[in-house]
Amino acid sequence: MIDLDLSLPLARFTLEVRTRLEGQAVAILGPSGSGKTSLLESIAGLRPQARGRLAIDDWVLVDSEKGVRIPPERRHLGYVPQDSLLFPHLSVAQNVRFGVQARRGDGAKLFDEAVAILEIEPLLARYPTTLSGGERQRVALARAIATRPRLLLLDEPLAAVDVAHRDRILPYLLRVRSEMRIPFLYVTHNAGEAEALASEAILIRAGKIVAQGSPAEILRPLSLAAADPAASFENVFEGKLEPLPASPGSARLHLPGGGALVVPLLHGAATGHAVYGIAPEDILISTAALARVSARNVFEGEVESVEHSGPDVLVRVRAASTSWRALLTSEATLDLELSPGKSVWIAVKTQAFRRLR
Amino acid sequence: MTTEDFSILLLTLRVAAISTICILPLGIGAAYLLARRTFPGRGLLETMLSLPLVLPPTAVGLVLLELLRRAGPIGRLLDAAGIEVLFTWKAVAIATAVMSFPLLVRPARVAFEEVDPRLPALARSLGVSRLSAFARVTLPLAWRGLASGTLLAFSRALGEFGATIIVAGNIPGRTQTLALAIFHRTQLGYDSAAMRLVALTAIIAFAAVGTTEWIERRRMRSRGSPA
Repeated sequence: MIDLDLSLPLARFTLEVRTRLEGQAVAILGPSGSGKTSLLESIAGLRPQARGRLAIDDWVLVDSEKGVRIPPERRHLGYVPQDSLLFPHLSVAQNVRFGVQARRGDGAKLFDEAVAILEIEPLLARYPTTLSGGERQRVALARAIATRPRLLLLDEPLAAVDVAHRDRILPYLLRVRSEMRIPFLYVTHNAGEAEALASEAILIRAGKIVAQGSPAEILRPLSLAAADPAASFENVFEGKLEPLPASPGSARLHLPGGGALVVPLLHGAATGHAVYGIAPEDILISTAALARVSARNVFEGEVESVEHSGPDVLVRVRAASTSWRALLTSEATLDLELSPGKSVWIAVKTQAFRRLR
Repeated sequence: MTTEDFSILLLTLRVAAISTICILPLGIGAAYLLARRTFPGRGLLETMLSLPLVLPPTAVGLVLLELLRRAGPIGRLLDAAGIEVLFTWKAVAIATAVMSFPLLVRPARVAFEEVDPRLPALARSLGVSRLSAFARVTLPLAWRGLASGTLLAFSRALGEFGATIIVAGNIPGRTQTLALAIFHRTQLGYDSAAMRLVALTAIIAFAAVGTTEWIERRRMRSRGSPA
């Protein structure tokens, strides 16, 4: 639980955030320049000008009235900035070990655990300038979790990642959440990831909280452009794999709600827990029943919402016991006369799914 | 090279080294303050630090002489403590320290300014103290600029003339450094003996400037690499 009542004067407005966050994973949404990073930095103790009150589980970190301000080195928070900020003069191993030395105790164990969870063993001898954006993010995350923080502060872990490489941090975050049980505050532009990771979300605009609730509640009434023009609406599915003997290249992914998807088996185990993603533009929508199509994933469903944003339209469909986001052109949306409540069929090729974990 | 040449060289190197070592902590502190903090009197401090670069060295020497003479504000304290400064090697060290101070501070300040202030801040969020973050992050990232500033200050100290001759005189075996000896020998008409010392200073200067440039080049290269 985080009790926040902070104010911090910024160049164009004053950041004023007053709320109580109960979730283990909280997404912070909002357009660029709305004060999300400043909020994380204030919590981490890197903005000495921040005033007000901040408490985590009844532990008071800042109370300006009583003159309390715990310095950053005694807050035990793991801050992962947007640009990773690895120490350029230190190797990956030295970066990850940096805070472990200060914490003492089970140093070697914490280091090994962070290296294993983020799978950075092959990178340990390298220097930050030789890493890709996704690798840097993993190292920065390992450096933060190796100190066993009480709370992780993640600033858009995707922003610096090269999308072409599809080298994503999300599966590792899911692992940190499930295996280490460290709560986190997560600044993101990606609605799909906010929904996959967070149980609670706040929306910030010009330094003020304008909405708070579950990620789905916050994102539903929000038009694409209002969240962020650069927002990505990746669909993320977690479930259990079951091999398909008839086609060795693919498997069935059983979703918690009862639905099942046919997904490719490019790498990783053919059974057990897995996470797959699909881009919203790869989902086909039809208003007539689909028969005799090559796509292995065809589901009947119902349109939940239709949101316009420039030339594109984001359509949410409830099908196969889960929620899908599909990106269509306005023309296609008009042609199909899509509106909430309408029955539709969605189709997805097996190969369009990407395995995230 | 005669034994006299050798002892002049030794005295010069020793005094320049002592003066450089003495200004290091103060110079690095001043450079860090100017790079990172805003405080009242900052502009004044900047100007004061640049004065030895623009004033004639003899003028600086005269100010030092006024401060250090027995009745002067600093000289009185030194006299009470029984320390004799004027016209000793200590006066040479003080004169060269004052004259070379700006040459240390300028590159050191630039070096600190080039370190992203969020790096030491992030180090603190990982649990290390402010001082330890400075020692483990800021200092290693700025070391090339600090090293080239130190070498520049050392080179300047080797060749200091104007301020030195006023506060320390030109006493062979006591305060006569290479620069003073070259002047002295030329005045007496011993041109070839003066040229030997010129060759010596050229070798030292070449080595010092060459090392500085090498450090600078490596700094440029490391910054040019993919970020």
